[in-house]
Amino acid sequence: MKPRCDYGGLLRRTAIITGSIAAGLLAVACSVQETIPAPGCVDGASGLIMAQSVPTASQLPCFTQLPDGWKVVTVNVNQDRTVVTLDSDRAGDGAAVLRFEERCDVGEAVPAPGHLGSAQRYDLVVSAAPSFEGRRYYVFPGGCVWWAFDFDSGTSATEAVALAEALVLISREDLNASVRESFIDEEI
Amino acid sequence: MQRDDASGPLRLPSPGKPPVTEISSSRHGHQRRRRPSGEPPPLPRELNRAAIGWLIAFVFWAAIWVWVFLSDRAGIWITEFDLRLMAPVVDNRVAWLDSVMSTINEFGTHWFVALIGWVTLLGALLARRIRHAVLLITTLALTAAAVTIVAAEIGRPRPLGMTRLGDWEGFAQPSRPVALLAAVMVACTLTLVPATGRTYAHWTTGIVLVIFGFAQVYTAVDHPTDVAAGASVGVALALVFYRTIAPEAVFPITYGSGKTAHLDVTGARGEAIRRGLRRQLAIEAIEIEPVGLEGSSGSTPLRVTAADGDVLFAKLYARSHLRSDRSYKLWRTLVYGRLEDEQHFTSVRRLVQQEDYMLHVMQRVGVPTAKPIGIVEITPDREYLLVAEFLDGAVEISDVEITEAMIDDALGIVEILWRSGLAHRDIKPSNIMVQDGQVKLIDVAFAQIRPSPWRQAVDLANMMLVLGLGSSPETVYERARLRFSDDELAEAFAASRGVTLPSQLRRAVRADGREMLQEYRALAPHRSPVSIQRWSFRRLALTGWVVLVAFFLGAVFISNLGDIGLR
Repeated sequence: MKPRCDYGGLLRRTAIITGSIAAGLLAVACSVQETIPAPGCVDGASGLIMAQSVPTASQLPCFTQLPDGWKVVTVNVNQDRTVVTLDSDRAGDGAAVLRFEERCDVGEAVPAPGHLGSAQRYDLVVSAAPSFEGRRYYVFPGGCVWWAFDFDSGTSATEAVALAEALVLISREDLNASVRESFIDEEI
Repeated sequence: MQRDDASGPLRLPSPGKPPVTEISSSRHGHQRRRRPSGEPPPLPRELNRAAIGWLIAFVFWAAIWVWVFLSDRAGIWITEFDLRLMAPVVDNRVAWLDSVMSTINEFGTHWFVALIGWVTLLGALLARRIRHAVLLITTLALTAAAVTIVAAEIGRPRPLGMTRLGDWEGFAQPSRPVALLAAVMVACTLTLVPATGRTYAHWTTGIVLVIFGFAQVYTAVDHPTDVAAGASVGVALALVFYRTIAPEAVFPITYGSGKTAHLDVTGARGEAIRRGLRRQLAIEAIEIEPVGLEGSSGSTPLRVTAADGDVLFAKLYARSHLRSDRSYKLWRTLVYGRLEDEQHFTSVRRLVQQEDYMLHVMQRVGVPTAKPIGIVEITPDREYLLVAEFLDGAVEISDVEITEAMIDDALGIVEILWRSGLAHRDIKPSNIMVQDGQVKLIDVAFAQIRPSPWRQAVDLANMMLVLGLGSSPETVYERARLRFSDDELAEAFAASRGVTLPSQLRRAVRADGREMLQEYRALAPHRSPVSIQRWSFRRLALTGWVVLVAFFLGAVFISNLGDIGLR
């Protein structure tokens, strides 16, 4: 039979061990979320990697100033697509998700007057009340960008309109030219 | 200052003579000496060369990242260098190799880390290497955190102007899948592979990383420097964490009958023990060999043969012994509560001091035990050697036929302990030796002064159980009545039950087949069992804390499985 330990020491040690592991894991969680900054239209840091995620796309999405209350929380980029998730202080967490893919199924969405250059816009309202849920697609040669809105109840659908207006499409040629000018003589 | 001998009077050095560090001589004719400031201890704690090498590689890449972060030009130069380096590979792709490399890329990116990670984690848990399991998770978490944070700051795209054939995610520098694969393979090696097989395992890791790294470059998913940096981060973090927190010398990976608490006393440690014995106790050891490992789980017992023919007993204590003991105490505290008022040992130094002190106390009160000789510092605060008299010719009491004289001797020892206000607290067959027909009590590390009455009663019960194994409960009980009252004997067996028996004694009683405890209880006057459940606010709080911590860690772990490559 061996001596017992005191409780204070145990608490202190388990707190240290717990803290270390939790800090490590939380650091991962936080850092993964911070991995890719929001794709801005001014600096191209994340624009290049997003362009590489859909190499066929002739147009590439980027954000101008987001409306008040909206913030980008995660940007996941891989060889198939880019997914940007946004939170809103009014519409709720994950209220809007932007996807950039090679192709998309517009389904029952109906054509609508587009405001993004040559891209064809399609809209679909899944639900207007009590909470707004809808889709907005921009389809262009070699790619597609689409919004999925799923707002908390009581939030006006005009939030979606304001947010969608922050999205801009730039041409791949323009980005390639910018890379050649400021980085190296290669295409994305 | 100088001494004439170890116990002699102090003598001031003569004026004008240079100061010396040798302070005593011994019966062996060697000199004891004080370790001067700046001289390393016998076994310094240090990273091995491989870990230092990879750490330097990590620092090199960290410097590159800072350079790239501060200068756009640096990023351009490195990218041009990378593209020139990989162009011959990418430009000369062959169809049959494309699918092979794509498969390797896919397997390495999505499956390999999870597969090796889970095998390592489950293997560590099955082998009760909790420390290694925690290290695996922490290493993967910190590797993932490091590469994602750096990647976000550097913001490097995938290779430009090349068709990518494989899967990827996020920025390129440093390569996240290569870093995680490197970390998990090194962690797997250091968790599951014994030291003798490490060379092959490390070569395997190297070959796998080279193949996977080449696949990453071939498929144009990563630049060559992304692969190199990722491998450096993964290997360096895993090696440094494991070498620092679970060094092989202290937490050896063994399989089979070897207990994890037992340390290897060959190689560098063997040399350190010899050096320490020579310098600190003036003992020239010519042979050091483990002895009685099967009965010991809290230390590494050794037999030391000195140059002059003397044979000594030594016990090597390291931090692993403290930690395994701490885990045992936590479990017992949660399950039974506060059975007795005791403090845990906070350092190896204190543990070895306690045993040395208790050996002296036992000698003083007349308990027959090994005479203490001294303590050798192997690594300050981490590893110590307790040296004592070797009970030459002594055998474990379970290996001899127990006579009435031995029963009287053994019960007499408990009587001395009771009378002197002491408890041994670890009475089991391997701690009761018989030398020339005389019973001796050893391993007093956990003995206590002024213990609780319950603890003393348990000592008596355990001693009677040990004696009963080699004779009969009736005989032992009759001899015990000559020294203890019926009430005291009843109290002993009312206090005793499975958990109060050291595990070796519990196994022996179970193997014996007789219902020994019940037989003793039947012989003694009836007494209600002494409850060993102690409920208190502190116990409840501790239990709540442990549950909360387990829940919290489990939740954080599960929610991050994907991020650390385990899903």
